[in-house]
Amino acid sequence: MLPGIRRSPKITDLIVRHDPHSLERLLVRKQDVLNVFAKFHNRQAMRAVEELRAQDDVLDAREIDRLLVSIHWEMQRLGEEFYHGPRVHAAVSATIATIRAAGHSGPLRIVDIGCGIGYTLRWLAGRTQIVSQGVELLGVDLNSALIHEANRLSRSENLPCHFVHGDAFSPDHSGQIYLSTGVIHHFRGPALWEFLSRHQRPETLAFLHFDFQPSFLAPYGSWFFHILRMRTRIARHDGVLSAARAHTAETLVQAARSGAPEFASGMYGVNIWNTPLPRVFHTLIGVRRTLLPHLKTHFGPLASRLGELK
Amino acid sequence: MTLVILYLLALLDGLLCGGRVSMGRCALIHKRVYYLRALLRGLLGAQIISTVALMTLLAVGGVPSHRAELRDDLQSAAGRMMWVFVPYAIAVLGGLALRLIPSTDLRSATSVMALGPLSAIRSPIMIAGVIYGIAPSDLLETRLLGLFVLMLMLSLEYFLNYFAAKRQAEEICQLI
Repeated sequence: MLPGIRRSPKITDLIVRHDPHSLERLLVRKQDVLNVFAKFHNRQAMRAVEELRAQDDVLDAREIDRLLVSIHWEMQRLGEEFYHGPRVHAAVSATIATIRAAGHSGPLRIVDIGCGIGYTLRWLAGRTQIVSQGVELLGVDLNSALIHEANRLSRSENLPCHFVHGDAFSPDHSGQIYLSTGVIHHFRGPALWEFLSRHQRPETLAFLHFDFQPSFLAPYGSWFFHILRMRTRIARHDGVLSAARAHTAETLVQAARSGAPEFASGMYGVNIWNTPLPRVFHTLIGVRRTLLPHLKTHFGPLASRLGELK
Repeated sequence: MTLVILYLLALLDGLLCGGRVSMGRCALIHKRVYYLRALLRGLLGAQIISTVALMTLLAVGGVPSHRAELRDDLQSAAGRMMWVFVPYAIAVLGGLALRLIPSTDLRSATSVMALGPLSAIRSPIMIAGVIYGIAPSDLLETRLLGLFVLMLMLSLEYFLNYFAAKRQAEEICQLI
């Protein structure tokens, strides 16, 4: 992938736009999107956008929603292949045990930021007993079509989790534990700092942000894997771009420590079995400083995956 | 015996094709029934292909005067094909067997390092196996039959994928 294309936005970030305040869906002009990708000489993205249906140059919102749902179904497959559910469960369970050990006996809410069709929370709700431990599972996303699909899927399997369209840090939706998957690389520069600083709410006790781990091989491995596994042109393009644009551990930790200084933060799950081999995903973890003494105990064997938290 | 093993390998291939084309097309959490149906569709597809291949074989075998020679030639060709198909099947089954070990890292690694690349080379393996089988053959019938079976094998995943995509598109259109 050429350096210019690495700086290019994702297709899915441009073909759906929402008003940041009202969250109302905005009309998107096809030519505007094409112009953005032309600036980055991103022909692959231009070809994908050219295929999209438009009326009077405005992208057909229903077709875009259908496309997004099918892309997210495919993305769920990647989550399944990487056993993302069990990985999140292991880390979240240890975090909950840490919080409980520190004396917090009340209900806990886990908020999945940018949850998409809610795979992570639906997996936790359907495959684990986490909800019976006084934990509420709430997914939040800015895309109403994906939230609608997440709720439909959870209803169809009677899963104890729910999904809302809105801002994860608003007073109505805020929680004790924030998590996200493949979201944090969307925030660049000052936006990353601002995103992390928003975790500093009195009720928030911990955060876990799972994202691609950058390495020399990551973009090539990601390209190969997406070619094999993803069927839509957009999913292939955006998936590879995600891996290419992933933040380094250093960037994430620096942003967390300066943006959310009330939390002790560091990386989790960087390498496989304590070897130099990188995992596909690494995790930015942050906990209230009062929880720090309990953390290593309750992570048990997983404590070896924890980097330095400060 | 050789033909029976090839038949079983074709069924296994159909089963796995059925599973592969269904992946990423259902976002439920509990989907054992969904995958079971997909595997059965693949198995059924492979069975149809095997039946067509067998009928063609019988039809061709019934015509020539050199029936015994053709049978021997076909068996030799099938035996050579197994030198390609059996190791491939062992590699795929080995990759799947590794997933029985309860390690998330190991299971993920099998997807990236084994099952992904092995499914990517399915078509080249099919072509290589059939060519390796029929190339040294003396009879035109054997060569044509081999190419016909190859065409059937390659079309299996295409059609399974085509129908799975159609079902998915219809489902999404109903939802949105």
